[in-house]
Amino acid sequence: MDTRRSVIWGERIAGGVITVGGLMVIVAVFGIMVFLIRVVLPLMAGGELQGNVRYQLDTQQDVIWVNGDEFQTLGLAVAAEGRVITYHVPTGTEISRAQFDFGGAEVTAVAGTLGRDRVAFGFDDGTVRFAELGFDTETTARRNLPSGLQQLDARDRVLDGRVFTEVGTGDFRTLSSVVELGEAEQISDLPIIAVDYRVGGTRERPTIAFATVDALNIVRVSRSRIQVNMMTGAETVTTTTTELPPLALGAGVNVTSILLSGNADRAIVGTDDGFVHRYDLRNMDAPQLAETRRVADDGIAVTAMTFLSGEESLVVGGEDGSLSVFFRLQTGTPDTTDGRELIRSREHAPMPSAVVDLSEAQRQKEFVAVDAEGNVHVHHSTSDQVLFELARSGDVTTSSRAMIFPRSNGVMLVSQGGEVEAWQYTQRHPEVTLRVLFGRIWYEGYAEPTFVWQSTAGTDLAEPKYSLIPLIFGTIKAASYAMLFAAPIALMAAVYTSEFVDRRVRATVKPMMEMMESLPTVVLGFVAALVLAPLVEEWIGAVLLGFFALPTGLMLGAFLWQMLPVPVALKYDGFPKFVLMAAMIFVSAFVAYNMGTTLENFLFQGDFKRWTTGQFGTGTPFMFLILLPLSYLTVSWSFKRTLGHHWRALIGDRDRAQAGRLDILRWLALLTTAIGLSYAVASLLTLLGYDPRGGFVDSYQQRNALVVGFVMAFAVIPNIYTLAEDALNAVPGHLRAASLACGATPWQTGMWVVLPTAASGVFSAIMMGMGRAVGETMIVVMAAGNTPIMEWNIFSGLRTLSANIAIELPEAVKDGTNYRVLFLAALTLFIMTFVINTLAELIRQRFRKRAFQL
Amino acid sequence: MTVSTEQDIPASGAAGLAAVAAREATAGRRVRRFSSDLSAVGEPALWAFGGALALGIILVAGFLAMIAWNGFTTFWPKPVEQVELRDGTVLAGVATRGGPYRVGEDVLQRLDDTQRAEIEDNNGIANRTLYQTANFDLYGDDFRWISDFEVAQSTTPPDYWYFERQVWGVFIGRIAGLTIDGESRTLDRALLAREQSAARDRFNQIRRLEQRDIGRINFQIERERLAQRRAVLRHGEDSPEAQAAVAEGQARIAEWQDEFRVLQAQVNELRELDRRYRIQMQEVGGREVDVELSQIVRLFPANDLGIFDKIGIYLSRWWEFVSAEPREANTQGGVLPAIFGTVAMTLLMVVFVAPFGVITALYLREYAKQGRVTSLVRISVNNLAGVPSIVYGVFGLGFFAYTMGGTIDQLFYPENLPNPTFGKGGILWASLTLALLTVPVVIVATEEALAAVPRSMREGSLACGASKWQTIRYVVLPKALPGIMTGLILAMARGAGEVAPLMLVGVVKLAPALPIDGFYPFIHLDRSFMHLGFHIFDVGFQSRNSEAGKPMVFVTTLLLLALIVTMNATAITIRNRLKRKYADGQF
Repeated sequence: MDTRRSVIWGERIAGGVITVGGLMVIVAVFGIMVFLIRVVLPLMAGGELQGNVRYQLDTQQDVIWVNGDEFQTLGLAVAAEGRVITYHVPTGTEISRAQFDFGGAEVTAVAGTLGRDRVAFGFDDGTVRFAELGFDTETTARRNLPSGLQQLDARDRVLDGRVFTEVGTGDFRTLSSVVELGEAEQISDLPIIAVDYRVGGTRERPTIAFATVDALNIVRVSRSRIQVNMMTGAETVTTTTTELPPLALGAGVNVTSILLSGNADRAIVGTDDGFVHRYDLRNMDAPQLAETRRVADDGIAVTAMTFLSGEESLVVGGEDGSLSVFFRLQTGTPDTTDGRELIRSREHAPMPSAVVDLSEAQRQKEFVAVDAEGNVHVHHSTSDQVLFELARSGDVTTSSRAMIFPRSNGVMLVSQGGEVEAWQYTQRHPEVTLRVLFGRIWYEGYAEPTFVWQSTAGTDLAEPKYSLIPLIFGTIKAASYAMLFAAPIALMAAVYTSEFVDRRVRATVKPMMEMMESLPTVVLGFVAALVLAPLVEEWIGAVLLGFFALPTGLMLGAFLWQMLPVPVALKYDGFPKFVLMAAMIFVSAFVAYNMGTTLENFLFQGDFKRWTTGQFGTGTPFMFLILLPLSYLTVSWSFKRTLGHHWRALIGDRDRAQAGRLDILRWLALLTTAIGLSYAVASLLTLLGYDPRGGFVDSYQQRNALVVGFVMAFAVIPNIYTLAEDALNAVPGHLRAASLACGATPWQTGMWVVLPTAASGVFSAIMMGMGRAVGETMIVVMAAGNTPIMEWNIFSGLRTLSANIAIELPEAVKDGTNYRVLFLAALTLFIMTFVINTLAELIRQRFRKRAFQL
Repeated sequence: MTVSTEQDIPASGAAGLAAVAAREATAGRRVRRFSSDLSAVGEPALWAFGGALALGIILVAGFLAMIAWNGFTTFWPKPVEQVELRDGTVLAGVATRGGPYRVGEDVLQRLDDTQRAEIEDNNGIANRTLYQTANFDLYGDDFRWISDFEVAQSTTPPDYWYFERQVWGVFIGRIAGLTIDGESRTLDRALLAREQSAARDRFNQIRRLEQRDIGRINFQIERERLAQRRAVLRHGEDSPEAQAAVAEGQARIAEWQDEFRVLQAQVNELRELDRRYRIQMQEVGGREVDVELSQIVRLFPANDLGIFDKIGIYLSRWWEFVSAEPREANTQGGVLPAIFGTVAMTLLMVVFVAPFGVITALYLREYAKQGRVTSLVRISVNNLAGVPSIVYGVFGLGFFAYTMGGTIDQLFYPENLPNPTFGKGGILWASLTLALLTVPVVIVATEEALAAVPRSMREGSLACGASKWQTIRYVVLPKALPGIMTGLILAMARGAGEVAPLMLVGVVKLAPALPIDGFYPFIHLDRSFMHLGFHIFDVGFQSRNSEAGKPMVFVTTLLLLALIVTMNATAITIRNRLKRKYADGQF
């Protein structure tokens, strides 16, 4: 009889679906990995040059200032005698033209704000004028589009000085230039040779500050306050000008540039002998020349200077092409009037020849440097990369003005003769390199290179800090403290369950531990942070004591048990003994609770938390506590090695109760010796000058690694326990039977037969627990304080990779740098756990095979 | 095999024997009944091991007991105490918790000598109590610590009332007056209870009108707007089809808006009426607050309650908790949306995880040849189980929400762009993410269940001429079904308790709408949702006053734990029963 066709087809379909479905698991794991890698990879991708244009503007005179809008649509060039040309950046078509009336004076200095739309001109007659050279952006709906538009290129159309660009929504972005010149202000009788200009305050009440240097090297700082009359709308400008203390310059030395900070609290003057002079203007009534510092090597002139956005870093370009970055750091030095000094913190790849122009990006720590040979290099300062190496074409000897477009996606350069060169590029994540992620970086405002994670800050101007090291450190710290608690408890409990209790006890205990495994970690985290953390803080003395009281109590119980006559001990062995152990735990906890304050008074002068800050006392008491278990182990081990033999001979002949009495005496003697030894070693360490405070003990925070470690152990214990118990249980019964038959006690059988056989399985259980601890999120988010600091202090908080993702990813912009770095954090976690789990699984598979062979 | 310790007699170890033998050789032969080589028994180590186990059990039990105690006592009405302090301040509040604390130096300085001596005798430690003084709108704070040494006198006057308000949280004080239908009335408890209940009905009526009826109109108008936009996008702005659609849509919107105005008038009328029923409450210091009676969710004379009144309040609070929406930034009211979100998400997750998990287990047990590939699959399963849950969240956000959801939006919901429909976290993506996370649980459990199906049954089926798939379909799977169910329940328990990945893929602190409602298409898989676990995190850590939210957190925790423990206990029981059944199920 033939098989029905439907059955054959059903068979084939089922087989195919199930095989494909089964293999989907592999696809899922590798799919996750590949997807994470795909998101992360663009972080490492470099920028891409998209094209460049070059054309000549009809400026006739030398170009002194240039600006471009953020869409790279319009450019503005100002020529020396006041002609302002607005042009279309991609094609060079002139859009509109204006003429500034400088009143016959000649421009001798020019400077602008960070946004480049507010410009100050200094003239040879000692006056200063301000101009607005910006762009106006509007949106025009499609139906309101005027007629008579001229096509400029594939994208843009023009009409009457306005450029229309279609955007994604179907409407048109309309751009036009805003060109206005203000009144002249007389600052000096001499020509102005350098000027800088800052606009601060709010949009409604702007404050204007500018600094000038005249031909006699006299530095002046002026501040203008604009008040708008609410009734008339008229603006009143009041300007106060302060002359700063004179610069002590040598003969023939000239000022090359001046920089003013945004809120006008410092000014920096560069001179052509390689010095910078820093003024402290925080008190405008008594300005001070705070510091004079050589920033270039001997005989090398400072040829260009600029602040990076945020004004924390000063970039100095030298005659020899060097590019260095200086931070003003609080060092407490007596050499300057305000205890701060300019410190050379970064050295960027030098330009091939003298730096002639530096211009900073508006929203990133980027700058463009132009050298005398026409090389145009775009640098990123934080990540210390040369992003693009461009070169001018044409006559490179003429001077030029360069700028970075506001979105950091292009550079425009106008030479003196009016020749424009513009480059357009894309660069996705210039602030991230492997060195930024995993190395030490000297960040703005820091005293030295460090690992810092601080991805977001209040303003755009702050430097994002993307070091994963503090997070990896936090992850390892949390996991290791958790394992410190979890591994011993879980393993000992597992051994006890599998080797020493009744089958019925095991049948109730094991599901209970499995239940514990399924407790939601959000609940554990909540209890850790809102219940446990305040309790531990309040009762820190009792908690510390508890760590010693618990083992001591159990030991005491054991030695007392040994004193029981054999029949009694046998009768109550098993469950009653287990209840007694639990009771012993309660007793020790009660003792710790009551004696905690006494211990704190006795060892830490009554206030442990203050002791940790290092304000008083020595490190002895804490080291004594830490060394106590260690010295007990040492003492009992050496007793066993030297006298153990004789001791066994001594008590071996007596009956058990008597032997037990002797043994408890031995134990008490050992304990006393251990206490003495521990105290002696701790004192010795103190004498040698060692103090744990500042290391693994430091000032106390409520949400700390101790609490996290403890609660995370609570989450990890069931994992390790069940897996280890399974492994121990898988050891074949005939091994135990053989061992017991040879006369070994259950204890000896457990320790020397079962445990070594199951060792690899137990080890893999610990690894799996470790994997879980590494990835645990909610407990850490809630109870760890989330400060990304790097210290082993058990009483301080931490931030792990997982917590960091949970906190920052919901707010991260898709495909932004932070988004991708957080994906990298996830990938790091994935790889860490992947390695741990795969190893554990391989070990386990091997163990299984071996266990079957036995 | 487990060795029962009852048979073991302290015997000497091998080393002990050797020592004894050596001694015997010199001292001549002697017969002993037993030796006391204590180190062979390892009693101290045994106690350490057993202690570890006991500690684990104590921790679990203590933990559960603490949650249960705090959770179950939260809703029990407690008396309002009027506390007079030594400095003359009088305050009224409910004692919530207390305990000893270390008195600060600056506080000690301000005390008189006897008080200071008393504290110093006690090692610088004093007792204090945290009072819920409530009245946040007047005091700017809900709680106050009072140290025992500050208290001059504490009484429980019977005329204090405990008001639970719709906004501003709890009010504690006396009733100064009652206005019923614009007339001032004397306080009569029966009248008050009746009127309050009537006022609540009015409140709920207004709410229903606003949320259900007006909500429906808003929903329709929004949909109409999107339909117009879709027509415009499809046919072009100036096309006749689009213009027809727009005109038609505008007409419909106008109709809806007429209806909206009618409803709004109704609401205003009710509001007007509602304003005529008021209550004047007076706090302990004498300041009065005058609110609509409908703003009082529950009120009771806290110090004048019989045991049945208390039980009534206790039960009514529980009922509110499981059946109402949250108020006061989630710190009061109920958690119905969170329960609903948790259950809906978990069930949806099971829909995804069940086929995937069962198919993989079938592959591993029935189809694949044991070898390299299955070893790789097993390693993968293990890795899926071991990868931190937050990584799944990251993957879910990046792949499901942004990549898949973004594509769906572009293909099917272009009219709503740039607002995402599926291109953000939502219940669908959350359940898919959790399905990925819980699939190993199902695989392992199903595999166990399949392995437990006796070989003889399969062979019997095959021998009768059934094909492999027929055998699986009609013999193996039915037999393994309870085991598979166990796996699914365990997966649900795991999924219901997981919070970290959900924070990335669609859980919110307050969802404006449930994922399932009465509007077409009834199941809105793109919506974000509330979740019990996230509720705990949110109330405990992100609300203005975590102390005020703490009781709520405990109760929510209790609910979540009860849910999970029940599921787990069921699964474990089924499993144990199965094991027993199959242990002698071979035939």
